[in-house]
Amino acid sequence: MSNVLLQVVNLSKSYKDKNYWLNRRCINALEPLSFNIEAHKTLAIVGETGSGKSTLAKLLVGAELPSTGHIRLNGQTLEPGNFKQRCQHIRMIFQDSGTTLNPSLTIEQLLDEPLQLNTDLDELERYQLIRETLQKVGLLAEHMNFYPHMFSGGQKQRISLARAIILQPQVIILDEALASLDPSLRSQMINLLLDLQQQMGLAFILISHNLGIVRHFSDEMMVLYKGKVLELGKTTDILQNPQHKHTKKLIMSQRFQLLNR
Amino acid sequence: MNLIDIRNLSIELKTATKPILAVDHVNLKMREGEVRGLVGESGSGKSLLAQAIIGVLDEKWQVHVDRFHWRGQDLMRLSPEERKAVITKDVAMIFQEPMACLDPTATIGEQLEEAVDVAQLSGFFWQKRQQRKLAAMNLLHKVGIKKHQACVKSFPHQLTDALCQRVMIAMALARRPILLIADEPTAAMESTNQGQIFRLLASLNQLKNMSILLISHDLENVTHWTNTITVMYSGQFVEAGTTEQIFNQPYHPYTRALVDSSPKASSMIPNKSRLMTLPGSIPILQHLPIGCRLGPRCPRAQQKCVHAPKIKSYHDHQVSCHFPLKDSYS
Repeated sequence: MSNVLLQVVNLSKSYKDKNYWLNRRCINALEPLSFNIEAHKTLAIVGETGSGKSTLAKLLVGAELPSTGHIRLNGQTLEPGNFKQRCQHIRMIFQDSGTTLNPSLTIEQLLDEPLQLNTDLDELERYQLIRETLQKVGLLAEHMNFYPHMFSGGQKQRISLARAIILQPQVIILDEALASLDPSLRSQMINLLLDLQQQMGLAFILISHNLGIVRHFSDEMMVLYKGKVLELGKTTDILQNPQHKHTKKLIMSQRFQLLNR
Repeated sequence: MNLIDIRNLSIELKTATKPILAVDHVNLKMREGEVRGLVGESGSGKSLLAQAIIGVLDEKWQVHVDRFHWRGQDLMRLSPEERKAVITKDVAMIFQEPMACLDPTATIGEQLEEAVDVAQLSGFFWQKRQQRKLAAMNLLHKVGIKKHQACVKSFPHQLTDALCQRVMIAMALARRPILLIADEPTAAMESTNQGQIFRLLASLNQLKNMSILLISHDLENVTHWTNTITVMYSGQFVEAGTTEQIFNQPYHPYTRALVDSSPKASSMIPNKSRLMTLPGSIPILQHLPIGCRLGPRCPRAQQKCVHAPKIKSYHDHQVSCHFPLKDSYS
């Protein structure tokens, strides 16, 4: 149990419907679930829309408060509401990278913001760190003075990645971060993410519906359906030997793309 | 007989300084009853090409074409009005971004009934209204919308993206077209629903002999459903051939990279290994390379590549490259 990085115990989320105040109805967005992630590993979360994938991501990153359960990072419980502690260690990359970057700030200002808020580095150190991070994600240091609209989609996604790794986090959540990229840029991005995982020992939580990427990228996978965990285990085991009929359906719907060659 | 035969179609964007060649001498040929995939990454001009065929580009785009034949008829000899009449009669298009393409001020029912062809209705004038409603309902059922009552009454903003997409497909099918141009018809959908839509299109192709031009940015998604594929890159023609040719023996380095880069296609590669990629990113319209536009990213590029290559044809497998990969297979 020593090398478990992130431990999630009995995490669940339910929304109360306030319209029925006599017999309160509860909508369970996420049934209680538990899982562990080790450093250098990737957990993939697969499911249809409305299966609670994004709710889980929001709970982990702290954007929503969980109804029950808790999250431990290196054996230390993450308090809900303690964002300083959480956002240093768990970062998130969103699907649409273009809309998450503030268009009125340069890349330097964008990347400077999390540093100012979370670290005690002085101006020169921050500048150095931004330079290094940009080079790490395959951009040039000169890109610092550019504005987000001057970049293409793939480069914007790299800037989001730079913003995610600049605080040296331990867990990165990729919420469909690869879905909107073009195929040739997507494979570049996958290579970059794998390299960073090697270098920094990151754990990834990959939310995706492309089973090909999931198969290539992840060590373990979790299948969600209507807020319930259907399967959790090694990716190769699940893809080769799915137990639940929804998992089978999901694999079958993409299987036709695998065949035909 | 060729359904559509386009030779050297170029589309220019007029700007203040000098025009930008967004689509550069592209050929497209389709037989009747064929499903052709048109594959290219963003900015490859595939949607522009489709819009040019339909004729919905506005004034800032200028279209030049050497030959434009539709079922043996030379459309370049006709006046714009006549051309439009020919095209709208037999060609329909499913546009990208369904939310933006539907009329926000009218209900789905009104828009669908408007799309229904008058010639299909039989009966007296007092029966037509009812028949129109019935036809709209049948169309919705056809694309897999079960709750037609609720759908007909709602406005586009009340539906999800996936539902709007289905409504768009229903509208495109309303006139029973001979050629359907489907511009990313399943972009907003999940994989389980994608299969359903592709199966519908495939059955229409089989039963009604409807030809389909399937536009997609991902080679993976379309291979199962297409007979032939045309690949484009940055507004230039790259390669055309049957699906098997393109997938198993791509002649162009770009197609090779597309096939190799997707983790799904090469199921043999070990987990977490590096994927093959092309360096760099897709050039933007303002800074297009001269000659072959793949040049700066191409692993096989040589000095000759600053001139645009001529299209070579090997047994109906056309490729536009100075150094095709043809000799590496044998």
